[in-house]
Amino acid sequence: MENLEFLLEYYTSLKEKKEEGKKVIAFISHDNIPEELIDAAGFIPLRMMFAGNDELMDASHDFLPPSTCSFAQSCIGAFSIKPNNLKFLDLIDYIIISNHCVSDICASEIISKYYNIPQLKFYVSYTKTENSLKYFKLELNDLRDKLEELKGSAIETQDLMNSIVKYNNFKRKLSELSALIIPGSQKLKQFQRAILTGPDYLPELEDFLHTQKNTQINEKGKPILLTGCSIFINDYLNDLIEEGGGDIVFFDTWVGFNYYSQIFDDDLINSSIDPIDLLVERFKNNLFGDHSVPNFLKTKISQIEEFYKNYRNTSGKKVGVINHIIKFCDHMSIMSSHLKKQLQEKGIQVLNLERDYSRANKGQLSTRIEAFLEMM
Amino acid sequence: MKSFIGIDIGSLASKVVLLNEGKLVDYRVERSTFDFKRVGNNLFNDILEKNNLNKGDVFIMSTGYGRNTIDIADDRITEITAHARGVQYFFPEAHSVIDIGGQDSKAILISKKTGNVMDFQMNDKCAAGTGRFLEVMAHALEVPIEEIGELALNSNQPSAISSTCTVFAESEVISLFARGTSKHDIAAGIHKSIARRVAGMSKRIGVAPLLVFCGGVAKNIAVKKFLEEELGYEIVIPDHPQLTGAIGAALIAQEHNGN
Repeated sequence: MENLEFLLEYYTSLKEKKEEGKKVIAFISHDNIPEELIDAAGFIPLRMMFAGNDELMDASHDFLPPSTCSFAQSCIGAFSIKPNNLKFLDLIDYIIISNHCVSDICASEIISKYYNIPQLKFYVSYTKTENSLKYFKLELNDLRDKLEELKGSAIETQDLMNSIVKYNNFKRKLSELSALIIPGSQKLKQFQRAILTGPDYLPELEDFLHTQKNTQINEKGKPILLTGCSIFINDYLNDLIEEGGGDIVFFDTWVGFNYYSQIFDDDLINSSIDPIDLLVERFKNNLFGDHSVPNFLKTKISQIEEFYKNYRNTSGKKVGVINHIIKFCDHMSIMSSHLKKQLQEKGIQVLNLERDYSRANKGQLSTRIEAFLEMM
Repeated sequence: MKSFIGIDIGSLASKVVLLNEGKLVDYRVERSTFDFKRVGNNLFNDILEKNNLNKGDVFIMSTGYGRNTIDIADDRITEITAHARGVQYFFPEAHSVIDIGGQDSKAILISKKTGNVMDFQMNDKCAAGTGRFLEVMAHALEVPIEEIGELALNSNQPSAISSTCTVFAESEVISLFARGTSKHDIAAGIHKSIARRVAGMSKRIGVAPLLVFCGGVAKNIAVKKFLEEELGYEIVIPDHPQLTGAIGAALIAQEHNGN
């Protein structure tokens, strides 16, 4: 099933849920949005995880100059054009404004203002100090109040705990998916669809895991660890990597490890801790989020190094790192040379791959990817 | 098999070389048109005919931006790997490469131990710092592209061209004209702007002597001079700077075939 068909099916299922009275809450920021709270309110979290193209980026230039984040441009362009495969954008009731980064805030605010989608606000601190955690809890409770207002009744503590358990189990299955020895394209497709759909995708994911669990496809491509920006739905990047002779064996991105690794131990879930405090605990432990300061780079490098060593020990092969940087993502771009230098000092080969979503870029991107694979 | 052909289809120029027993025997260069395949095939057929060879007598390796359009090729390789190998034909001790072609510029670091690529950096789709940038600027200055380098060397006071974008830089040039700035000062400013951009990109991967400057733009003496100023050391240019990609492709073909 190709993405178009999948997205049209997603539209149909979203529409049915809306007809049951559920509201669709969209958000661009990824790391710290408490989707369990939205789910516990009986609403549907909708992650904006769609790659752009020339048309979408061009369409955003009524609002943004071209020298801004290509992902933010594409999100705005998606609302401007509403291509057939993204027509479910019409079903959005609210958009959460959050500060994953400045571009995310600006894009969300523009979408809210010019496409008449009411806002919910959820701001997070970048640090994990005691005061930051208190502030995060205040924001959680504030969002809970707003959702309860929309719902017209309270979000029961038990319902929130049930949602946390549901997402926790779902993420564990994604972790199993990550461990499979199958081509990166197959993993990516499942990651993208699962994370977009949420735990409702669990039966399909379990079917997939069941059919693949005994599969040991010999990796023909050169093994790649992808870090940096995620490969979103409708992106051609993974195709270029596989056509060039590479295979992504680990997705160290938000569509991948950074999402499914944010789980709770059973002991913690079974304790008498308040579910809101559980969400605070997760925020505190989310060291891999690319906006966690001050130790983001240090954590990231030690994590990549650990994977590199483990993979080499088990397969005998060296993994190359592709650091995917969406153009004008200042945060990723500024950190990229430090990341590359520090990994190279550990003997790990790194390609900083900066790009936007335009098709005109494909030739040069292929050359960089293929040259990196030749270098490996 | 003793003969190997490297076909380098660049965005502005197509190059074909014939190597026999590791030596450059013949070559062709022609401007690339929108039809990469036709230009590549024509050059290939011509070089075969002039050297009394048949297709079956040679192994063909394509490289360059249009490498995938050459369906007669037996294998393909990126221009980054090809240039790194090609410069070693002229300078076996080469440690770094700066290649400025029509559409892109690259800095490549070569392992002294293995002779393989250790790291590289490429410009993105922006034309600043490439041969195309020089073409646009030569047009704006109304001088032939072959003469713009000489013109720049006559300047004692290069203009400041701050823009890193070809389109904006062209506007800057026009505004410098309006202020009465001389052509040679503007030309020098243009060359300094390219050198600054490419040197910055190269320093990020740690290029060091012996640094080989190749690609079509290496024929421009002012770019070489300003690059040396930016880097702080002398750089070398091979006899055929435009051919290093094609030569590298042919050498890799030869090595892959156990020769």
